[in-house]
Amino acid sequence: MRRILLFFLLVWATPLIAQEPDTSRLPTGVRLGLLYPTLSRPVLAVRPFGASGGLEDVAARATEIVRRDLDYSDRFEMFTVPPQFESGPVDYDAWNGLGVVFLLTGDVEPAAGDSAFLRLVLHDVVYGNVKQVRAFTIPAPTSPDFRMAVHAASDEVVRWATGQPGMAASRIVFVRRVPGGGAELMMVDSDGENVQRIASTETSIYSPTWAPDGRRIVYSIADPDGGWYLEERDLETGRVRTLAGEGMNLTPAYSPDGRRLAFAIWSGQSHDLYDYDIVQGCCRRQLRRGPGEDISPTYSPDGRQIAFMSDRLGQPHIYVMSADGGEATLLSPYTYGEPGYYTSPDWSPTGSLVAFHGRSRGGHPQIMVADASRPGDTVRQLTEEGSSEDPSWAPDGRHLVFVGVRGGRQGLYVMDAVSGRTRPLVLGGRLRLPDWSPTLYSASAHSVRGE
Amino acid sequence: MHKRIILPMLMGTLVLGACGGKQAPQVDPAAEQARLEEEARLQREAEERRRAEEEARRRAEEEAARRRAEEEAARAREILAEMVFFDFDRSDIRADAAEVLTRKISVLRANPDVTIRIEGHADERGSDEYNLALGMRRAQAVKDFLVGYGISENRIETFSFGEDRPLDRASTEEAWATNRRAEFVITAGEVTKVR
Repeated sequence: MRRILLFFLLVWATPLIAQEPDTSRLPTGVRLGLLYPTLSRPVLAVRPFGASGGLEDVAARATEIVRRDLDYSDRFEMFTVPPQFESGPVDYDAWNGLGVVFLLTGDVEPAAGDSAFLRLVLHDVVYGNVKQVRAFTIPAPTSPDFRMAVHAASDEVVRWATGQPGMAASRIVFVRRVPGGGAELMMVDSDGENVQRIASTETSIYSPTWAPDGRRIVYSIADPDGGWYLEERDLETGRVRTLAGEGMNLTPAYSPDGRRLAFAIWSGQSHDLYDYDIVQGCCRRQLRRGPGEDISPTYSPDGRQIAFMSDRLGQPHIYVMSADGGEATLLSPYTYGEPGYYTSPDWSPTGSLVAFHGRSRGGHPQIMVADASRPGDTVRQLTEEGSSEDPSWAPDGRHLVFVGVRGGRQGLYVMDAVSGRTRPLVLGGRLRLPDWSPTLYSASAHSVRGE
Repeated sequence: MHKRIILPMLMGTLVLGACGGKQAPQVDPAAEQARLEEEARLQREAEERRRAEEEARRRAEEEAARRRAEEEAARAREILAEMVFFDFDRSDIRADAAEVLTRKISVLRANPDVTIRIEGHADERGSDEYNLALGMRRAQAVKDFLVGYGISENRIETFSFGEDRPLDRASTEEAWATNRRAEFVITAGEVTKVR
């Protein structure tokens, strides 16, 4: 009788055990969780923009772009405007009754030449008044700068509502491997539109990285003779120059002031970190000595520190050191006897968080975040689905682009580290090593932001 | 007295000889000539046959030697081309790899004009960039092994493909083990000897 009971107990209990989540395999020192507890987000509605002077098409396109940008900012709960509210005078009481907190209205009218004024009005429905009004100059939709100019307007709207600018006016650069050999350097807008090929090679390209001025990209490219050199490309002129030509040079990173370039050089036994004065074209210094591989440097926003990957413990880990080199502090979790694998760090442009990917043996790589100002603190794992690697921060310091597999589909994905919301950016099987640009178009400057 | 006996005896011998029967056959110069020519012809033919056989034998030996040389060259190329494999995330030379490399050392010593390139590879796990570096460390570890046995550094180039060129695209332990490798390419010179 007891054996029968035991049998039923086991049968009943087994499904519970089988459902044990993958989180039981988190490495020691890592916990699952997003950056902040989910805050409630204000409800935002965007009314279709009006138009005069035959610019209805421009107004329609601008509405679509702004709506999507505000949705992708992940700071609002987007509200679908009912047809009867799409036009006419703004009735704050009615909107309040719908539960809307912010209402965005706008219109488009002709400006000089082919350009137009996009006038946006942000209404504070709760207080029943206009919070902000501004006219943005945008080029004609046929201009290659049209979308970015509208993105810049969206980013301002986010700043009006939340105090922090959005990240819509930015781009992501990445590498696409060509089947059969070769590689292409690719670029896409932050909303997934406008995929462009910048350059291609019959050999291989790794680690494309934006310069702080948003005009240039540096990357490591394979020489047919066997070396890897660093090439810097000006996106506006198309001109290229070699920054480091001899030997094997990998994983470049610009300092935030644009004056120095940190990268890894093959010593004959392993890779070591160096930096180099780009402005003067001289003065290379070795940042760290010792055994083991040191690669993938990334600067803190104040330019004083560098996070990087080193395997001198026998496994790849993330470290932090002064930007002038010297002693390094371990940032990723290390437990003796527990194999870890932590690589590809990227320092947030807005603070002390460093994103990287890591896993325990047997698990898939997932995105993790550590606070460089508190090394040794528990590290947060942001993703748990599929696999996720090579994170790069958006200029808003809360979105990340990464290479992932979701629902069996490979590609580049964007996630919000605060809400966890993840969207596909570019789907495809051979995409790698994305890097998110700084803000490229700022409405406050009406042009590309310079340093 | 003698002349009168000898002459008739001689005459008698001649007459006896000319009568045939119990006497020796008479030699016909023309037939003799033909016989001699026939003999000579047979001898020549035999000689030619001998020469032809020698020729054939020599050719067969040359052919065999050439085949042996080709086989040896093929074997030497095979030894040079044989890949070596590594453990996950490591670039140390394993015992099985050391055996393969030792055979290569003999071939490289026997063919001093040959230069090679060692290409290091990694499996798909881990970061793309770290795998590129790991492939280089693997190629270098192999080079160091060969140089340690006296092969000149100048004969060996190294290169890394990281995880970009898997031999087996599956995501299984077997496939990964196959992909963690160093490959060898002859960049100059002709390989003829095994040792």
